[in-house]
Amino acid sequence: MAEQHVVVENLVKTYPGAATPSVDHVSFSLPKGEMLALLGPSGCGKTTILRMIAGLIDPTGGAIRVNGREISQTPVHKRNMGMVFQAYALFPHMSVAENVAFGLEMRGIPKSERAAKVARALDMVKLGALGDRKVTQLSGGQQQRAAIARSLVIEPELLLLDEPLSNLDAKLRDEMRDEIRDIQSRTGVTAIFVTHDQDEALSMADRLAVMSAGRLEQIGTPRQIFDAPATEFVAGFIGAGNFLSGRVTAPGEAEIEGLGPMRFAAPDPGVAVGNRVKLMVRPHRFTLAQPALAQTGPNSFTGRVETLVYRGQVLTLGVDVGGKRLTADLHTHAGHLPARGETVTLAVAPEDVTFLSGAAA
Amino acid sequence: MSATAFPAQPAAGSARWMLLALLVPGLLALMATFLLPMAWLLRASFSTSSMSAFGGGMTLEHYRAAITDPFYWKVAVNTLWLGVTVSFFAVVLSYPIALFLTRSESRWRGVLTALAVAPLLTSAVVRTYGWMVILGDRGVINGTLQSLGLTDAPIRLSNNSFGATVALVEILMPYAILAMLAGFGRLNPQLEEAAAMLGANKARVFWRIVLPLSLPGVLTAALLVFVLAISSFVTPRLMGGGRVFVLGTEVFQEATVTLNWPLAAALSVVLLALFSSVIVIYQRALRRLEA
Repeated sequence: MAEQHVVVENLVKTYPGAATPSVDHVSFSLPKGEMLALLGPSGCGKTTILRMIAGLIDPTGGAIRVNGREISQTPVHKRNMGMVFQAYALFPHMSVAENVAFGLEMRGIPKSERAAKVARALDMVKLGALGDRKVTQLSGGQQQRAAIARSLVIEPELLLLDEPLSNLDAKLRDEMRDEIRDIQSRTGVTAIFVTHDQDEALSMADRLAVMSAGRLEQIGTPRQIFDAPATEFVAGFIGAGNFLSGRVTAPGEAEIEGLGPMRFAAPDPGVAVGNRVKLMVRPHRFTLAQPALAQTGPNSFTGRVETLVYRGQVLTLGVDVGGKRLTADLHTHAGHLPARGETVTLAVAPEDVTFLSGAAA
Repeated sequence: MSATAFPAQPAAGSARWMLLALLVPGLLALMATFLLPMAWLLRASFSTSSMSAFGGGMTLEHYRAAITDPFYWKVAVNTLWLGVTVSFFAVVLSYPIALFLTRSESRWRGVLTALAVAPLLTSAVVRTYGWMVILGDRGVINGTLQSLGLTDAPIRLSNNSFGATVALVEILMPYAILAMLAGFGRLNPQLEEAAAMLGANKARVFWRIVLPLSLPGVLTAALLVFVLAISSFVTPRLMGGGRVFVLGTEVFQEATVTLNWPLAAALSVVLLALFSSVIVIYQRALRRLEA
């Protein structure tokens, strides 16, 4: 099998004087044209990884390969990567067009060719008319576009984006999110972006790499990450969830403390009877059971509605079941909607219960 | 300062008077120490009496003397040249220091900055004497060279414009460093990273990004050093050994030795006008650069 376009292998970064590494043996790889999100809370090491790939920070250990070639020792200016900085880092003493042309100029491309490439890049980000402006005269969104044009005009091997949307207001953020995704798929450039925003990561990336405390927790498609989180951290960081712990009573079934029996999609080797397990149910996986079927069997839990939050498309219920609080998202078009104080029965299919971990008691 | 600084003030009129009242002490001090003496100087430059500023009638004779005498033209050129060379070398030598202090992330940065400007704690007279000890005919350098047998006679390092320039450069460097530290606000390490990512090596990052962005600070520092150098008196006088003729030394000469106060005054006014115009032109160029 041919090697992936970008490979990161056992990457480690320990800052001098630090007791624990900021990046701890992280490995992942990307095929050509993929957009990968490095997602995690602040301080998890995601930006450090991005800067090591860029060459702005020297790794303590590990390898970074692009097209099969090790680049850890290649100086920044020879790596041919485009980077969009969080604060854009446009050169304030140059016009928009001069900013975009800078990388071409460094590559010794003649002036006549430069102008055409710059014009095309500015058109791509819809800044065609603003090339003569000073960068200080641009709005935040326009600066973002100029920064993207500047990093793509050099036809980089890899596009790196550091929290690209965090400096924009909410409406502009949605617009730029779609636009960055669109530009990336049109140009076919392999891209890695760093974010702490799960919505941003889920909606923009082909795959997500979720990080915590310097380690890679899980890498996968948005769907895999959301529906089959590998660890408790990933389950908690991406989306909301009801975390349940209990003891296995039969293959694929556990007794949940305070709730009763629950069937779950057991992992491949299975979990021995008697072991403790941690399970998770996404709020939107719960459905309201028919009152006639209520109160019997596994995977149905009856309790009183304590809180109601109406969010337009969904209604979020906080249900008190025997002293334990379950959160459920119901679609507002789904017929009867319960009121506060009403007794309801929540049901969940076994395949919608996520197994997180199991250990001998 | 204006009344608009307090937009929420309901009684705008009284706030305005209050602000003007606050300005009075400063204006009075400025009046007494700057504007009155300047008016005096101007009046004295037209005086027909050589010893008294207000004695006698009015004459343009001193201006004619100051402008037509080629010696004073030479003094003006000398002064300008001293200002240009001193500010050039002070800025070139201070630039790396200021750049280092701006970019350093060391915890000693504060201490190093204080050390860089610490020479301001000693008077320029003391530091000039220090340079006389180093550069004099029997000074440290000549003494060493001669005792090593490298030279027979002392090399002329002081009592000339070389000595005056060297001492002024060193004395004025702290001002240049301070001005540059204040003027390097647009420098941003991320811009250098961005340039490197786009393919610029270290030299090109410097020439295309760091230098242009630090230019406002550099030019401000150059102007400050220039002004201080052309108005200096003690250092050119002591280090020049009477052979360096600049604005400060000549006015002093006319006023205290020749005792021709009106000529000294006229000379001062002419040179003041000359250098003010240099500074106005320079600042205009600076503003255009920053826009």
